[in-house]
Amino acid sequence: MYPILVLSITGIITLFLGFLKSKKVLLPATLFFVTLAFFANLYDWNKPGLYFNNMLQVNNFTILLSAVILLSAFLIIALTKGFIDDEHAQPAEYFAILQFSLVGAIMMTGFQNLIMLFIGVEILSVSMYVLTGSDKRNLRGNEAALKYFLMGSFATGIMLFGIAMLYGANYSFNIDAARTVVTQMVSTQHSSVYLYVGVTFLLIGLLFKVSAAPFHFWTPDVYEGAPTIFTTFMSTIVKTAGFAAIYRILEVSFSPIYSFWWVMVIIMTVLSLIISNVTAVSQGSFKRMLAFSSVSHAGYMLMAVVGLSNKSDDSIVFYSLAYSLATISAFGVLMAVSKEKLVDGRPDESIAVLNGLSKRNPFLAFILAISMLSLAGIPLTAGFWGKFYVFSDAAFRGHIWLLVVAILMSAVGIYYYFKPIIAAYMRESEGEAISLTPFYKIILGITTFGSILLGLFPDLLRSLM
Amino acid sequence: MKNIDQQLVLQIAFFTFASITIGGAVYLLFTRNVLYAAFSLLVTLLGVAGLYVFAGADFLAVSQIMIYVGGILILMIFGIMLTNKKKEQQKSDQLNKILVSHHNRFWAAIVAVLLFLGFLKVVFAANFQLVGKEIHQGTTVQKIGIELMTNYVFAFEIIGLLLLAALIGAAYVAKKEKI
Repeated sequence: MYPILVLSITGIITLFLGFLKSKKVLLPATLFFVTLAFFANLYDWNKPGLYFNNMLQVNNFTILLSAVILLSAFLIIALTKGFIDDEHAQPAEYFAILQFSLVGAIMMTGFQNLIMLFIGVEILSVSMYVLTGSDKRNLRGNEAALKYFLMGSFATGIMLFGIAMLYGANYSFNIDAARTVVTQMVSTQHSSVYLYVGVTFLLIGLLFKVSAAPFHFWTPDVYEGAPTIFTTFMSTIVKTAGFAAIYRILEVSFSPIYSFWWVMVIIMTVLSLIISNVTAVSQGSFKRMLAFSSVSHAGYMLMAVVGLSNKSDDSIVFYSLAYSLATISAFGVLMAVSKEKLVDGRPDESIAVLNGLSKRNPFLAFILAISMLSLAGIPLTAGFWGKFYVFSDAAFRGHIWLLVVAILMSAVGIYYYFKPIIAAYMRESEGEAISLTPFYKIILGITTFGSILLGLFPDLLRSLM
Repeated sequence: MKNIDQQLVLQIAFFTFASITIGGAVYLLFTRNVLYAAFSLLVTLLGVAGLYVFAGADFLAVSQIMIYVGGILILMIFGIMLTNKKKEQQKSDQLNKILVSHHNRFWAAIVAVLLFLGFLKVVFAANFQLVGKEIHQGTTVQKIGIELMTNYVFAFEIIGLLLLAALIGAAYVAKKEKI
């Protein structure tokens, strides 16, 4: 609850800091604000409760997810370097919008009332529409922003329709009250069409936000068109928050009607896994490949939702942390390397730009290798344990054929995740050595260290829950 | 006798609003002129507002008129009038035509029919019943205002944050930039 208050206020303060002549104060200030929110978040640890007239819930699960969101936000904001290099950038506005979007993301983890879910989704989405199009001189960025905005608002409309239907079925926006009504319905064998339509439409809206197939069509274009730093934000924080929302609404309100929605979710899981992994193989652009990889990871995380065991919440926290760390490293390397070579005045974001990276900057090549291994789910990295946990959740419900599909698709994943590694280590180098600022190195070091640490000692996080 | 008259008046008023709504929607589907389509949408939305009044939702009816008729539709008409400009001087006696076409008729028809069947099922499954007791007189605005300031005050405040983010974003995107 506290981080929402902290970030709402500091976001406005950041806007006012934009009046200062020097832009250098913005980055440390924002990092300080996010750190403040992080510790404010931990303050509620082991003190579960409902706040603001049953609008928000705080328990250890929501605190951990908010911690993952705020940690990723800290790392991503640190990688921006305060937008010093870009003379057209408006750091004060960007950082303010980022902080507001974090408020939305945290509300999506802790909502107790569907109104809060809707407002959270909207704050996060509106911020993302703006940040996607923040590079106004980039035509592809403009196209991506417009596409994201049109499709996103359509999805929001569908979600709102679903929420209205659920209100018709449950006479309440409260998710605990919804569970009572649903349980009653199941026990009296009385079914309401509104309930089923509502659940379906709500799920469609939320799955669009996390870009699960078949609602993933916007993902590659938007991820590629947006500035890389905001793509990182989109693929980590939006996904974590979205899965928190999906899991909470399904677990709290609708676990009594599991038999209704599991078929739908399992179809989307399989579609996400197959479509994304098969398409990612043929991508030449590193950013586009990571976009499809994010769709596939949405599929893996849906497996935890399908499983809905008593360990699913832990799996979602672990998977989002592992995925966020690896993704931030991958995009961090891409940002450092791609600005060295320009194609048509834009940074070159193809996989070929990584050729010979091990000679140009061995540190970056190592970071890239670890992050790719973690995304592919190779043992001794955090990604392996993340996959292991979601697979065991799916096995809990006995969906063996889903496991078979997922393992086959992980094997396909290994093929394309190794392409950047091969490019970095086996190919001849083309460019000159890349130099990095120490701060950038430290941040990338932290993400990589986190991936390895969680890969060696996964119980560090699991024991918290 | 007086009772029957009241019923009759109610019936007539209801069917007037219903036919306005449906008539506007049907005209919207068949007209090929975008501006006329926008105007027929106006008629439809006004009719819906009237139907809300019949359902006893006075606040909803007023918001419907303020948001859709007063805001969104005016914006739409502005959009149509400002964008539909040809390079050569447009004569005032010409129709403002915008070509609209769709290629995927097959899938569009399937989706439309399925959605229609789904809605039909919901409508028939819905348990419509006439409210036996008199619908309470007076306005709902006061009750909504009190709820908004007590139970839902947090949502109310946070919507302010959403609007602020949208405002900053809009100002940023609309700002002219030297290229």
